[in-house]
Amino acid sequence: MSVSKNTGGKGLDLLRNLPRISLANLRPNPGAKKAEKRRGRGAHGGSRSGRGHKGQRQRGNRPRLGFEGGQTPFYLVIPKYGYNEGHSRRPQYQPLSLNRLQYLIDLGRIDPTQPIDLTQLVNGRGVTLQPLKRDYGVQLVEEGADTFSAKVNIEVQMASECAIAAIEKNGGIITTGFYDPRSLSLLCKPVPFFMRGQPIPKRMLPGEDLVPYYTDSKNRGYLSDPAKIQQARLELARKYGYVLPDVTKDELFHMLTARKDPRQIFFGLAPGWVVNMAEKKILKPTDEKLLSYYSS
Amino acid sequence: MAGVGYLGLRNAIQCLKSARSTASLQHYSASAAAGPHYPGIVESTDEYRFVERLIPPPGFQSPQTPAVPRPAAGHPPQRSPSLPCAVRRSRMHNIPVYTDITHGNRKMTVIRKISGDIWALEQEVKSYLTQVTGKCPPTQVNEVTMSIRVKGYYDTELKAWLTEKGF
Repeated sequence: MSVSKNTGGKGLDLLRNLPRISLANLRPNPGAKKAEKRRGRGAHGGSRSGRGHKGQRQRGNRPRLGFEGGQTPFYLVIPKYGYNEGHSRRPQYQPLSLNRLQYLIDLGRIDPTQPIDLTQLVNGRGVTLQPLKRDYGVQLVEEGADTFSAKVNIEVQMASECAIAAIEKNGGIITTGFYDPRSLSLLCKPVPFFMRGQPIPKRMLPGEDLVPYYTDSKNRGYLSDPAKIQQARLELARKYGYVLPDVTKDELFHMLTARKDPRQIFFGLAPGWVVNMAEKKILKPTDEKLLSYYSS
Repeated sequence: MAGVGYLGLRNAIQCLKSARSTASLQHYSASAAAGPHYPGIVESTDEYRFVERLIPPPGFQSPQTPAVPRPAAGHPPQRSPSLPCAVRRSRMHNIPVYTDITHGNRKMTVIRKISGDIWALEQEVKSYLTQVTGKCPPTQVNEVTMSIRVKGYYDTELKAWLTEKGF
C-alpha cells in the first residue's frame, strides 16, 4: 500500500505551529455552554422566584408523585400480575437467521459437507452463547428464507416453521434437539472440557414442559417418530408449495441422515469416554455397570 | 419411497449402542500387551477424528473470488487501488462500516479503519451521498481514531460504494 497512517494528522500539525496553549487562548464552541437560569433575579426584585401565588406550590408542600387528590391513583387501580415473574429463570434461545447462516457458509466459516452442530456454529464464530445466562441453545429464524440456497444437515434447539421449510426446500435436513445446561456448555466449549479429563456425561432428556415440543414431528424433534417426520416433510412441502427433494438419491445421503443419539452430546463420541488430547487417544470403560449406566 | 431416508436412522442409533460394548471388547485384547496396563480401560485412536472436528480453527482465510457469485458473502478486496486513502477490512474480512444510534433517535454511520488522506475521503463521501440523497449530510472526521461519522443510516450505500472502489 502506498498510503501511511497519519494519526492526528492536521490536528497535530496545528498544535506544533500555533503559540502555546493556555487558559487565555482557549474557549468553548459557540452554543456549547448555555447560561443557567437563576431564580429570584427578575423584574421587581424577582418577587415570587418562579414559584407562583400562595398555596402548596409556593410553600413547597405538594403531595407525593402519583397522588391524585384522594382518588385511587393509577398505579394502585391496576392489579398486579406476574408478567415478569421468574423471567430470569426462563430458557433463552439465541436467534440465528437464515441470512447469517448463508453468510457463514459462503465465507467458509461453516462447512456444509459435515453435519452442522452448535459446536460448528460456535467454532465458526457464527453465534455466541452464554449457557450460564439461561441460554438453552439456538433458534433458527426465517429472516432470509427467500435467498437461502444451501443444502445442510443442521441441528438446532428450536426452529420456526418457515425456517424448516426453507432448509428442506433446498434438500437439507433439520433436527431440533434438547441440551441441558451442562451438556450445552460442553457443546459450546468442548476443548476445555476434554482438558479436564472427565468422562463425557450423558445428555439429559428434556423437562416435562419441553417434551411435547421435542416429540412433535412438526418441529422435527429428535424424540419424534421418523415415519411421522417424513409425513410432516411432505405436508410442509404441500403447504408452502415446493417439491420436496428426495434425500435418498443424494450423494451426501449418509452425511445428511447422520443424527445423534438422544443421550449423545458429540458426534461420534459416546458418553463415558475420556478424551486424552495430549496423546490423541480415547479411553473407554469396560466395567459392565459403567457400560449399562452410560448406555441407558 | 421418500420414507426410506429415515430407515437408516433407527439402525444407526441401535448400532451406536451395540458398538460401544462390542468395539471395546474387541480392542481389549489388542491393547492389553501395550504400555502401562490399566484394567478398567480400553484405549483407542479410531474415533479421535471426531475430537479433531470439535477443535475451533485459529483463524479464517480471506475468501477468494468465488466462481459462482455469492451475494451474501460480499466481494473480496481488489489488489492495490492507487488512491490517496485506504480502508482496511475487518478481521472477518468485511467492510468496516457500522451503524450507531444514541438517545434512541440519533442515527449515524461510522467508517472505521481508514488510513492515508482522511479529509479527501470525507469529501468523496459527502459528494457521493449528496448525489444519492440530494442533500449533503453532516460528517465528523476523527483524526486520532481515523474514522468518519456521518449523520443518518447509509451503511448499505457506503458498503456498496467502498466495495466498488476496490477496498
